[in-house]
Amino acid sequence: MLSERELERYKRQILLFGNDGQERLKSSHIFIAGAGGLGSPVAIYLAVAGVGTITVVDMDTVEQSNLNRQILHYDRDIGKKKTVSAIAKLQEYNPDIIINAIDTTITADNIRRLVGQADGIVDAMDNYPVRYLLNRVALEMKVPFFHGAIRGFYGQATTIIPGKTPCLECIFPRAPPKEVFPVVGVTPGVIGTVQATEVIKYLTKQGELLVGRLFIWDGLAATSEEIAIEKNPVCPVCGSGTGTELPAGMMR
Amino acid sequence: MTVKLRFFARFRELLGTDIIVEPHDGTLLAALVAEVARKNTDGYAAIFDEQGTFREFVILMRNGKRVETAEAGTITVADGDEIAVFPPVAGG
Repeated sequence: MLSERELERYKRQILLFGNDGQERLKSSHIFIAGAGGLGSPVAIYLAVAGVGTITVVDMDTVEQSNLNRQILHYDRDIGKKKTVSAIAKLQEYNPDIIINAIDTTITADNIRRLVGQADGIVDAMDNYPVRYLLNRVALEMKVPFFHGAIRGFYGQATTIIPGKTPCLECIFPRAPPKEVFPVVGVTPGVIGTVQATEVIKYLTKQGELLVGRLFIWDGLAATSEEIAIEKNPVCPVCGSGTGTELPAGMMR
Repeated sequence: MTVKLRFFARFRELLGTDIIVEPHDGTLLAALVAEVARKNTDGYAAIFDEQGTFREFVILMRNGKRVETAEAGTITVADGDEIAVFPPVAGG
Protein backbone atom coordinates (compact mmCIF):
# COMPACT_ATOMS: atom_id res chain seq x y z
CA MET A 1 0.00 0.00 0.00
CA LEU A 2 1.13 3.50 -0.77
CA SER A 3 1.25 5.89 2.16
CA GLU A 4 -0.36 9.33 2.06
CA ARG A 5 3.08 10.78 1.70
CA GLU A 6 3.88 8.50 -1.24
CA LEU A 7 0.59 9.30 -2.94
CA GLU A 8 1.52 12.96 -2.70
CA ARG A 9 5.16 12.47 -3.71
CA TYR A 10 4.27 10.49 -6.83
CA LYS A 11 1.06 12.37 -7.66
CA ARG A 12 2.20 13.59 -11.06
CA GLN A 13 3.37 10.19 -12.30
CA ILE A 14 0.41 8.33 -10.84
CA LEU A 15 -1.47 10.37 -13.44
CA LEU A 16 0.53 8.38 -15.99
CA PHE A 17 0.43 4.85 -14.67
CA GLY A 18 -2.01 4.85 -11.78
CA ASN A 19 -1.70 3.54 -8.24
CA ASP A 20 -1.12 0.06 -9.66
CA GLY A 21 1.91 1.21 -11.59
CA GLN A 22 3.27 3.02 -8.58
CA GLU A 23 2.75 -0.07 -6.42
CA ARG A 24 4.67 -2.11 -8.99
CA LEU A 25 7.57 0.32 -8.80
CA LYS A 26 7.48 0.16 -5.01
CA SER A 27 7.56 -3.62 -4.90
CA SER A 28 10.40 -3.89 -7.43
CA HIS A 29 14.11 -4.37 -6.97
CA ILE A 30 16.53 -3.06 -9.58
CA PHE A 31 20.22 -3.86 -9.68
CA ILE A 32 22.50 -1.13 -11.06
CA ALA A 33 26.02 -2.21 -11.99
CA GLY A 34 28.11 0.92 -11.53
CA ALA A 35 27.72 4.29 -9.82
CA GLY A 36 29.57 6.35 -12.41
CA GLY A 37 28.48 8.33 -15.46
CA LEU A 38 25.55 6.13 -16.43
CA GLY A 39 24.84 4.79 -12.94
CA SER A 40 24.34 8.28 -11.54
CA PRO A 41 21.34 9.38 -13.64
CA VAL A 42 19.90 5.86 -13.68
CA ALA A 43 20.02 5.60 -9.87
CA ILE A 44 18.74 9.12 -9.28
CA TYR A 45 15.78 8.81 -11.62
CA LEU A 46 14.82 5.35 -10.39
CA ALA A 47 15.07 6.57 -6.80
CA VAL A 48 12.86 9.60 -7.35
CA ALA A 49 10.40 7.49 -9.37
CA GLY A 50 9.96 5.29 -6.30
CA VAL A 51 11.56 1.98 -7.29
CA GLY A 52 11.26 0.31 -3.88
CA THR A 53 14.66 -1.34 -3.66
CA ILE A 54 17.76 -0.28 -5.53
CA THR A 55 21.09 -2.06 -5.32
CA VAL A 56 24.12 -0.21 -6.62
CA VAL A 57 27.50 -1.89 -6.93
CA ASP A 58 30.75 -0.03 -7.44
CA MET A 59 34.30 -0.58 -6.26
CA ASP A 60 35.76 2.85 -6.95
CA THR A 61 36.58 5.93 -4.94
CA VAL A 62 35.37 9.34 -6.07
CA GLU A 63 38.08 11.24 -7.97
CA GLN A 64 38.11 14.83 -9.13
CA SER A 65 38.16 13.71 -12.77
CA ASN A 66 34.85 11.88 -12.23
CA LEU A 67 32.94 15.02 -11.38
CA ASN A 68 32.28 16.25 -14.93
CA ARG A 69 29.73 13.48 -15.38
CA GLN A 70 29.12 11.39 -12.26
CA ILE A 71 26.40 13.56 -10.80
CA LEU A 72 25.76 11.40 -7.75
CA HIS A 73 29.10 12.59 -6.40
CA TYR A 74 30.00 16.10 -5.29
CA ASP A 75 33.28 17.91 -4.83
CA ARG A 76 33.15 17.22 -1.09
CA ASP A 77 33.02 13.47 -1.82
CA ILE A 78 36.48 13.26 -3.38
CA GLY A 79 38.30 10.41 -1.67
CA LYS A 80 35.10 8.73 -0.42
CA LYS A 81 33.93 5.37 -1.70
CA LYS A 82 31.34 5.85 -4.43
CA THR A 83 28.99 3.54 -2.58
CA VAL A 84 29.09 5.78 0.51
CA SER A 85 28.49 8.87 -1.58
CA ALA A 86 25.73 7.19 -3.62
CA ILE A 87 23.74 5.83 -0.70
CA ALA A 88 23.74 9.24 1.03
CA LYS A 89 22.47 11.11 -2.05
CA LEU A 90 19.89 8.53 -3.06
CA GLN A 91 18.49 8.30 0.45
CA GLU A 92 18.20 12.08 0.50
CA TYR A 93 16.46 12.08 -2.85
CA ASN A 94 13.97 9.56 -1.55
CA PRO A 95 13.87 8.39 2.08
CA ASP A 96 10.92 6.09 1.33
CA ILE A 97 12.92 3.52 -0.61
CA ILE A 98 15.60 0.99 0.28
CA ILE A 99 19.10 1.56 -1.11
CA ASN A 100 21.77 -1.12 -0.97
CA ALA A 101 25.21 0.06 -2.01
CA ILE A 102 27.85 -2.64 -2.27
CA ASP A 103 31.54 -1.80 -2.49
CA THR A 104 33.00 -4.62 -4.53
CA THR A 105 34.20 -5.71 -7.96
CA ILE A 106 31.66 -7.72 -9.94
CA THR A 107 33.12 -11.12 -10.80
CA ALA A 108 31.86 -14.43 -12.13
CA ASP A 109 32.08 -15.75 -8.58
CA ASN A 110 30.00 -13.13 -6.80
CA ILE A 111 27.63 -11.87 -9.49
CA ARG A 112 24.68 -14.16 -8.76
CA ARG A 113 24.81 -13.36 -5.07
CA LEU A 114 25.04 -9.62 -5.80
CA VAL A 115 22.11 -9.61 -8.22
CA GLY A 116 20.04 -11.78 -5.88
CA GLN A 117 16.33 -11.64 -6.63
CA ALA A 118 16.45 -8.36 -8.55
CA ASP A 119 13.71 -7.79 -11.13
CA GLY A 120 16.09 -6.24 -13.65
CA ILE A 121 19.75 -5.42 -14.23
CA VAL A 122 20.96 -2.05 -15.45
CA ASP A 123 24.25 -1.93 -17.32
CA ALA A 124 26.11 1.13 -16.08
CA MET A 125 29.55 -0.39 -16.53
CA ASP A 126 32.49 0.97 -18.47
CA ASN A 127 33.82 -2.30 -19.87
CA TYR A 128 32.57 -5.27 -21.87
CA PRO A 129 33.96 -8.16 -19.79
CA VAL A 130 31.62 -7.24 -16.91
CA ARG A 131 28.80 -6.40 -19.33
CA TYR A 132 29.09 -9.93 -20.72
CA LEU A 133 28.85 -11.35 -17.21
CA LEU A 134 25.75 -9.27 -16.47
CA ASN A 135 24.22 -10.36 -19.78
CA ARG A 136 24.75 -14.03 -18.96
CA VAL A 137 23.28 -13.73 -15.48
CA ALA A 138 20.28 -11.79 -16.79
CA LEU A 139 19.64 -14.61 -19.28
CA GLU A 140 20.07 -17.24 -16.62
CA MET A 141 17.71 -15.47 -14.19
CA LYS A 142 15.33 -14.49 -16.99
CA VAL A 143 15.30 -10.83 -15.99
CA PRO A 144 15.64 -7.88 -18.37
CA PHE A 145 19.03 -6.33 -19.00
CA PHE A 146 19.05 -2.62 -19.76
CA HIS A 147 22.18 -1.93 -21.80
CA GLY A 148 23.78 1.46 -22.22
CA ALA A 149 27.24 2.66 -23.23
CA ILE A 150 28.79 5.97 -24.17
CA ARG A 151 31.86 7.63 -25.64
CA GLY A 152 32.33 11.32 -26.26
CA PHE A 153 29.05 12.71 -27.56
CA TYR A 154 27.88 9.25 -28.68
CA GLY A 155 25.79 6.72 -26.87
CA GLN A 156 23.89 3.51 -27.45
CA ALA A 157 21.15 1.69 -25.57
CA THR A 158 18.93 -1.34 -25.93
CA THR A 159 16.70 -3.45 -23.73
CA ILE A 160 17.38 -7.17 -23.66
CA ILE A 161 14.56 -9.51 -22.70
CA PRO A 162 15.80 -13.09 -22.19
CA GLY A 163 14.28 -15.53 -24.66
CA LYS A 164 12.74 -12.77 -26.75
CA THR A 165 15.41 -10.39 -27.95
CA PRO A 166 19.00 -10.72 -29.08
CA CYS A 167 21.38 -10.83 -26.12
CA LEU A 168 24.37 -8.52 -25.70
CA GLU A 169 26.73 -11.06 -27.23
CA CYS A 170 24.47 -11.47 -30.28
CA ILE A 171 24.79 -7.73 -30.83
CA PHE A 172 28.41 -7.22 -29.80
CA PRO A 173 30.22 -10.53 -30.01
CA ARG A 174 33.58 -8.88 -29.49
CA ALA A 175 34.50 -6.00 -27.23
CA PRO A 176 36.08 -2.82 -28.53
CA PRO A 177 39.59 -2.16 -27.21
CA LYS A 178 40.02 -0.67 -23.75
CA GLU A 179 40.78 3.03 -23.60
CA VAL A 180 40.47 6.10 -21.41
CA PHE A 181 37.37 7.26 -23.21
CA PRO A 182 36.60 10.95 -23.72
CA VAL A 183 33.21 11.97 -22.35
CA VAL A 184 31.14 15.01 -21.49
CA GLY A 185 28.56 14.52 -18.75
CA VAL A 186 25.51 15.21 -20.87
CA THR A 187 26.07 12.01 -22.88
CA PRO A 188 25.65 9.56 -19.97
CA GLY A 189 22.84 11.92 -18.94
CA VAL A 190 21.00 11.18 -22.19
CA ILE A 191 21.71 7.45 -22.29
CA GLY A 192 21.21 6.90 -18.53
CA THR A 193 17.79 8.51 -18.69
CA VAL A 194 16.89 6.35 -21.70
CA GLN A 195 17.83 3.29 -19.61
CA ALA A 196 15.88 4.54 -16.58
CA THR A 197 12.88 5.24 -18.83
CA GLU A 198 13.05 1.65 -20.04
CA VAL A 199 13.15 0.31 -16.48
CA ILE A 200 10.12 2.39 -15.49
CA LYS A 201 8.20 1.31 -18.60
CA TYR A 202 9.06 -2.33 -18.00
CA LEU A 203 8.02 -2.25 -14.35
CA THR A 204 4.81 -0.32 -14.94
CA LYS A 205 4.00 -2.16 -18.18
CA GLN A 206 3.78 1.02 -20.23
CA GLY A 207 4.56 1.67 -23.86
CA GLU A 208 6.89 -0.13 -26.24
CA LEU A 209 10.25 -1.24 -24.96
CA LEU A 210 13.50 -0.59 -26.81
CA VAL A 211 13.71 -4.21 -27.89
CA GLY A 212 15.17 -5.69 -31.05
CA ARG A 213 16.74 -2.36 -31.90
CA LEU A 214 19.79 -0.44 -30.86
CA PHE A 215 19.19 3.22 -30.09
CA ILE A 216 22.12 5.38 -31.16
CA TRP A 217 22.52 8.94 -30.00
CA ASP A 218 24.85 11.35 -31.78
CA GLY A 219 24.98 14.43 -29.60
CA LEU A 220 27.27 16.30 -31.99
CA ALA A 221 24.83 16.03 -34.87
CA ALA A 222 21.81 16.09 -32.49
CA THR A 223 20.39 13.02 -34.20
CA SER A 224 19.23 9.68 -32.94
CA GLU A 225 18.95 6.56 -35.04
CA GLU A 226 18.02 2.96 -34.66
CA ILE A 227 19.68 -0.15 -35.95
CA ALA A 228 17.57 -3.27 -36.14
CA ILE A 229 19.29 -6.09 -34.26
CA GLU A 230 18.74 -9.80 -34.62
CA LYS A 231 19.46 -12.90 -32.62
CA ASN A 232 22.57 -14.73 -33.63
CA PRO A 233 21.40 -18.33 -34.03
CA VAL A 234 24.88 -19.56 -33.14
CA CYS A 235 25.42 -17.08 -30.29
CA PRO A 236 27.66 -18.82 -27.73
CA VAL A 237 25.48 -17.45 -24.92
CA CYS A 238 21.85 -17.58 -26.03
CA GLY A 239 22.01 -19.54 -29.31
CA SER A 240 20.69 -23.06 -29.65
CA GLY A 241 22.48 -25.83 -27.79
CA THR A 242 24.58 -23.55 -25.64
CA GLY A 243 24.97 -23.43 -21.92
CA THR A 244 25.16 -20.37 -19.73
CA GLU A 245 28.18 -21.44 -17.73
CA LEU A 246 30.06 -18.39 -16.61
CA PRO A 247 33.70 -18.15 -17.48
CA ALA A 248 36.07 -19.03 -14.64
CA GLY A 249 37.45 -15.53 -14.23
CA MET A 250 36.00 -12.13 -14.80
CA MET A 251 38.03 -11.63 -17.97
CA ARG A 252 36.96 -13.48 -21.05
CA MET B 1 24.95 2.06 -59.31
CA THR B 2 24.74 4.08 -56.15
CA VAL B 3 25.54 2.87 -52.63
CA LYS B 4 25.32 4.82 -49.40
CA LEU B 5 27.89 4.35 -46.66
CA ARG B 6 27.02 5.40 -43.16
CA PHE B 7 29.63 5.60 -40.44
CA PHE B 8 28.79 5.91 -36.77
CA ALA B 9 30.43 7.32 -33.63
CA ARG B 10 34.24 7.53 -33.86
CA PHE B 11 34.21 6.30 -37.44
CA ARG B 12 31.93 9.18 -38.28
CA GLU B 13 34.26 11.71 -36.68
CA LEU B 14 37.11 10.47 -38.84
CA LEU B 15 35.34 9.74 -42.10
CA GLY B 16 32.07 11.67 -42.17
CA THR B 17 28.77 9.97 -42.87
CA ASP B 18 26.13 9.40 -45.50
CA ILE B 19 28.76 9.03 -48.19
CA ILE B 20 27.33 8.29 -51.61
CA VAL B 21 29.58 6.21 -53.83
CA GLU B 22 29.17 4.81 -57.33
CA PRO B 23 30.99 1.50 -57.38
CA HIS B 24 31.44 -0.69 -60.43
CA ASP B 25 29.37 -3.83 -60.78
CA GLY B 26 30.89 -6.65 -58.81
CA THR B 27 32.51 -4.43 -56.18
CA LEU B 28 32.97 -6.33 -52.95
CA LEU B 29 31.57 -4.91 -49.72
CA ALA B 30 34.90 -5.05 -47.87
CA ALA B 31 36.73 -3.38 -50.76
CA LEU B 32 34.16 -0.59 -50.92
CA VAL B 33 34.42 0.20 -47.21
CA ALA B 34 38.23 0.09 -47.42
CA GLU B 35 38.29 2.40 -50.42
CA VAL B 36 36.16 5.02 -48.69
CA ALA B 37 38.02 4.65 -45.39
CA ARG B 38 41.38 5.20 -47.07
CA LYS B 39 40.67 8.90 -47.44
CA ASN B 40 41.64 9.27 -43.79
CA THR B 41 44.57 7.34 -42.35
CA ASP B 42 43.19 7.30 -38.82
CA GLY B 43 39.75 6.38 -40.09
CA TYR B 44 41.16 3.44 -42.02
CA ALA B 45 43.26 2.33 -39.05
CA ALA B 46 40.22 2.51 -36.77
CA ILE B 47 38.30 0.05 -38.96
CA PHE B 48 41.03 -2.16 -40.47
CA ASP B 49 44.11 -3.78 -38.99
CA GLU B 50 47.61 -3.85 -40.50
CA GLN B 51 46.67 -6.81 -42.70
CA GLY B 52 43.71 -4.90 -44.11
CA THR B 53 41.09 -7.05 -42.41
CA PHE B 54 38.24 -5.62 -40.40
CA ARG B 55 39.05 -5.13 -36.73
CA GLU B 56 37.17 -7.78 -34.79
CA PHE B 57 34.75 -5.46 -32.96
CA VAL B 58 33.55 -3.63 -36.10
CA ILE B 59 29.87 -4.11 -36.87
CA LEU B 60 28.79 -4.09 -40.47
CA MET B 61 25.19 -3.84 -41.59
CA ARG B 62 23.77 -3.98 -45.09
CA ASN B 63 20.24 -2.63 -45.45
CA GLY B 64 19.63 -3.15 -41.75
CA LYS B 65 20.92 -6.72 -41.69
CA ARG B 66 24.09 -7.76 -39.97
CA VAL B 67 26.91 -8.94 -42.23
CA GLU B 68 29.79 -10.87 -40.68
CA THR B 69 32.91 -8.85 -41.42
CA ALA B 70 34.70 -12.08 -42.33
CA GLU B 71 32.20 -12.55 -45.17
CA ALA B 72 32.36 -8.97 -46.44
CA GLY B 73 35.16 -9.93 -48.81
CA THR B 74 32.86 -12.27 -50.70
CA ILE B 75 29.68 -10.17 -50.87
CA THR B 76 29.10 -7.83 -53.79
CA VAL B 77 27.21 -4.60 -53.28
CA ALA B 78 24.04 -3.81 -55.18
CA ASP B 79 22.41 -0.61 -56.39
CA GLY B 80 20.62 1.20 -53.58
CA ASP B 81 22.45 -0.62 -50.79
CA GLU B 82 22.89 1.20 -47.52
CA ILE B 83 25.96 0.07 -45.65
CA ALA B 84 26.41 0.96 -41.97
CA VAL B 85 29.78 0.67 -40.25
CA PHE B 86 29.57 0.90 -36.52
CA PRO B 87 31.92 0.63 -33.54
CA PRO B 88 30.32 -0.34 -30.24
CA VAL B 89 31.09 2.23 -27.58
CA ALA B 90 32.25 1.02 -24.18
CA GLY B 91 32.19 3.86 -21.67
CA GLY B 92 29.80 4.17 -18.78
